[in-house]
Amino acid sequence: MKEMDNSSTCERTGDLIAVLYGEATEREQREFELHVKRCGECRAEFAAFSQVREAIGEWRDEALKGFVSSPMVAASPRKSALAALRQFFDLSPLWMKGAVGFAAVAFCVLVVLAWGRFSSPTAEPPVVGGNRAAVYTKEDLDRAVADALAKQEANLPKGVERSVIEAPKPVVVASSSGSKRLNGAKSSGSTASTRAPHERRPFSRAEREQLAADLRLLSGSDESDPDFDR
Amino acid sequence: METLGTDEIIVERALSGDADAFGEIVRRWERRIFALTYGILGREEDARDATQETFLAAFRNLRGFRGEAKVSSWLHRIAVNQCLTRQRRAKVRKESALEDSSETEIATALDESPVSVVEGRQRTLAVRRALNGLPLELRQIVVMKEFEELTFREISEALDLPLSTVKSRLYTGLKQLQLRLAKFGNE
Repeated sequence: MKEMDNSSTCERTGDLIAVLYGEATEREQREFELHVKRCGECRAEFAAFSQVREAIGEWRDEALKGFVSSPMVAASPRKSALAALRQFFDLSPLWMKGAVGFAAVAFCVLVVLAWGRFSSPTAEPPVVGGNRAAVYTKEDLDRAVADALAKQEANLPKGVERSVIEAPKPVVVASSSGSKRLNGAKSSGSTASTRAPHERRPFSRAEREQLAADLRLLSGSDESDPDFDR
Repeated sequence: METLGTDEIIVERALSGDADAFGEIVRRWERRIFALTYGILGREEDARDATQETFLAAFRNLRGFRGEAKVSSWLHRIAVNQCLTRQRRAKVRKESALEDSSETEIATALDESPVSVVEGRQRTLAVRRALNGLPLELRQIVVMKEFEELTFREISEALDLPLSTVKSRLYTGLKQLQLRLAKFGNE
């Protein structure tokens, strides 16, 4: 744009404007007043501009007369919690938004974990026999175990004694002078070993000799050689 | 409201979460911004909308205010941009709001009986039309000076122009208004 389309031929337009709006310094004011006395152009412009200003002023007064504060200010200063929160986030720095977001996520995770922990059953009874619908107490469980043992015992082949499934009995070794207890238990009176045939392998010769030697040491009165089955 | 400090302090308070602080900025500047938008747009309804949009835009971009310029300058820039946006939209819609309303209001004014009222109305409408005929560069400076009563320095800061340019544009604006008003007076 051409800045001074309607420029005056006079160089004092800047001063004219400053004086017209009352922003001239005392010195500028004095100098312009002196200038106006001998410059008809500036004098005429000053008068014309004053009239223009007066006309603008009338319009301004009329325009601003009906001005009322906008609803954004006139509204009650009380805000809803949601609006306040939204405003807080709008005004918060980015790091604070991030921190609040992280805290919110962490809180949600904690709530979910806590809910999972407290909502699960505390002591679920064991499920027996694959029937998940049935719930067994400890007594039921013991009885079931006892029944199962009894059933298993009943199914054992003949000749296999209860000792296989119960606590092992002391090993009894037959000798010529009768059975000897190896670990202090009472003899069952049988001359044969009470071991189940499939449970333990027969003694080797070396083992037998070693065992015989040991027995001799244990029982000094018994001088005869042991009579092992071969 | 009690003493709140400068605009810049109030903006800082708004940034730190004071919900009422921005309301104080609006209260302080609303009238002037309305005057500016009214001076540029020439219609009260448009001026109200532009004023409201100015403060909404300012609130949304509050974080963008770095304190390098004055709050007033910042608001003025936003307001002028809002006015330009509205004028562009109006141009796209081929609306000549000012002309339409001026003609209507002149007709209304002529219907009123007291001669002085008619003369007064005609004069203000003539001023309005003359002002709206000015290029924006001149118009906004005339409006900022006449409607908002800002100092040359404040206008210079708000528009980021040298002081001498502000004065020369104001001079040119007044000169063109004088010529236009003379022309209307002769019609």
